[in-house]
Amino acid sequence: MNHSLNSIAWKEVTRSSAFGKSVATTIMLGFLGLYFAINFLALGFLIPKIIAENFPDANPVQIFNSYLLVYFAFDLLFRQVMQSLPTISLKPLLILNIRRNRIARYLLLRSLFHFFNFLPYFLLVPITFSLVAANYTAAVTFAWFVGIVLMIFASHFLTIWLKWWMNKRGYGFYIFLCVFLSLYGLNYFRIIDLTGLFGSYFDLILANPMWLVVAVIPLIGTILLNYKYLLSNLYLNLVEKKQKDSTIRDFSWMSRLGEYGKFISLEVRMIWRNKRPRTSFLMTILFLFYGLLIYKDSGNGIPDFMFILGGLLMISMFSISLGQFFPAWHSNYFAMLMTQNFKMKQFLKSFYYMNVAFSFVYYLLTLPYMLIDTRIGYYHSAMLLYHIGVNMNLIFLFGKNSKRALDLSSSSMFNYQGMGAAQWLITFPLLLGPMLIYLLSKQVLGAHGALLLLGGLGLVGIMLQPQLFKYFTKAYLQQKHRLIKDYKNS
Amino acid sequence: MIEINSLIKAYNKEIVLNIPELTIHQGEVFGLVGNNGAGKTTLFNLLLDLIVPSKGFVVSNQIKVQESEDWKAFTGAFIDESFTIGYLTADEYFGFIAELREMNQADLDQHLNRYTDFFNGEIRGKKKFIRDLSKGNQKKVGIAAAMMGNPEVVILDEPFANLDPGSQFKLRQLIKDQTADFGTTFLISSHNLDNITDVCSRIVILEKGQVVKDVPKTATTLKEIEAFFTGVKEEVGFIID
Repeated sequence: MNHSLNSIAWKEVTRSSAFGKSVATTIMLGFLGLYFAINFLALGFLIPKIIAENFPDANPVQIFNSYLLVYFAFDLLFRQVMQSLPTISLKPLLILNIRRNRIARYLLLRSLFHFFNFLPYFLLVPITFSLVAANYTAAVTFAWFVGIVLMIFASHFLTIWLKWWMNKRGYGFYIFLCVFLSLYGLNYFRIIDLTGLFGSYFDLILANPMWLVVAVIPLIGTILLNYKYLLSNLYLNLVEKKQKDSTIRDFSWMSRLGEYGKFISLEVRMIWRNKRPRTSFLMTILFLFYGLLIYKDSGNGIPDFMFILGGLLMISMFSISLGQFFPAWHSNYFAMLMTQNFKMKQFLKSFYYMNVAFSFVYYLLTLPYMLIDTRIGYYHSAMLLYHIGVNMNLIFLFGKNSKRALDLSSSSMFNYQGMGAAQWLITFPLLLGPMLIYLLSKQVLGAHGALLLLGGLGLVGIMLQPQLFKYFTKAYLQQKHRLIKDYKNS
Repeated sequence: MIEINSLIKAYNKEIVLNIPELTIHQGEVFGLVGNNGAGKTTLFNLLLDLIVPSKGFVVSNQIKVQESEDWKAFTGAFIDESFTIGYLTADEYFGFIAELREMNQADLDQHLNRYTDFFNGEIRGKKKFIRDLSKGNQKKVGIAAAMMGNPEVVILDEPFANLDPGSQFKLRQLIKDQTADFGTTFLISSHNLDNITDVCSRIVILEKGQVVKDVPKTATTLKEIEAFFTGVKEEVGFIID
């Protein structure tokens, strides 16, 4: 029984649409995984040196212990955002002759196979050998290592339980955030020294490995919480969540915004009412604060290149993150749209106008950065023009090669469903294009000339828009049947 | 109304549909029956320009479907649930289609009032997304939307499937009323022979992509078709009056 369940799990992974289907995605994911693994490995070798330099007189292991909770706090936060619940495979199992507790155990066990549960070892193993084993006996080192492994698993199961708990409550995430931040505050202002306490527990293990027994408690506790939750909630509604009545927002006023209003209102409802586009959209709002991060004067003025990067990312992030999948957002009912009484041109134009409107609003929202440096006004204006005139057309150009249907219901965080080579490739010209143009033309024309060139290119694009729309309409009509077929088959 | 000219659809040289000639007249309720994989949905997809024919073309109201988009103005269709938009409520979806069909609120209300019985109080005024409706109710939404704006041609792929017996009966009546009042041409496929013989004025059987029977409805049509599908094939040809 267990064997067949495991083989189902294996097939679910290897045959899932995200895996193996797109070479580009697999390669990018592989690189990303490798990148993080190497970073962690490097940290693992660097940390002992850093500790030795900064705390030459202290016991390095104790110093490391005192920072452990910081690591686990970040771990928990990142897991919250990126780890998904192991529920997808649940539905067909429910009606089979398998006991509930076996399904629950299977789901929990399966959830362990996650990149986040392998990544820490790249950091942990070098530290264990170079830092702990150098100062303690083998038995003590082993106990310390096992203690941390137990904590990693506890963090994993706590994440899953919290996610289930939040799924049930609309405002669960905010409660979690409040608790998290207040614990952080308590720690930061030294009201309760949580990191210190956590660290001294590991000091205790070093002093007497018998203390390891205590580390089992959070792990067993979190496993039991999950197990209990699953046993009482192992029903269809764990996988299928129905919308609550009260959350339906009315967007009908948008339909009155002229010829394109009806489609723009459809786009807006699509974004707001589906998890994936909504998380993408909310991320672009977070990006508006990117300027606070990079517009920093480190003595001799902010390098002008930063304004290009910042303006580009803040103004056009909405179009980039939604545009890279255009028109696959409508893949579920694309065939229906194609039988309806409207022209392809309207479909393209309404997406265009929505993006123009959003980019303009984002542009206005970034103007307060002028308080930091007045030059930002010019740079952002040029980037707005360039984005509308050039990047939007690149999005349409790449969009006609769209291949995979999108599943709108899952979160957009690290979600590679529907990603193909085109979706990866499009980000290069969109982001690198204007930067290269600026850097190269600056050599010849100077900063002002380069800025004028970017804005000018944008203006040319905007003026050519009617012709470009004619071309895109023809191109999309040519691709129509292939799009319908590909969306149906993916 | 609709003329099919030497239409062939093949996948990897395997012919799934081959109709040399077929004309569907205005006001006809055209019923399409056939086993699974006989090519019914393929034919409908070709009529709606959702797939490209390997050979031949379709002319709808003097408009070549494969070349111009103008047929969309007088054609309504419901193929499957993907013809509805899951994240809209039924009312919003009707509103969206009404805008595309250039109907005002009064037109829309007038149209939907005909469906009050059919909807059984479970569709309109509900704050529920279409994706959260039952399969049958999703179908009802799609069917009502397909008939919006008094299209001259309505294509419905298996409209009776997933509906309860009462709704099936009401749908028959709705289709009959629509042709009687507006002269709408219907193209309907179904596996339910009772429904299709009741509602259709002409019935075509597809078998492996080819038209094997094409008969107007008479008192004996149901029996003939039933005989065809149970394999009791009569030697004598059909009497066409």
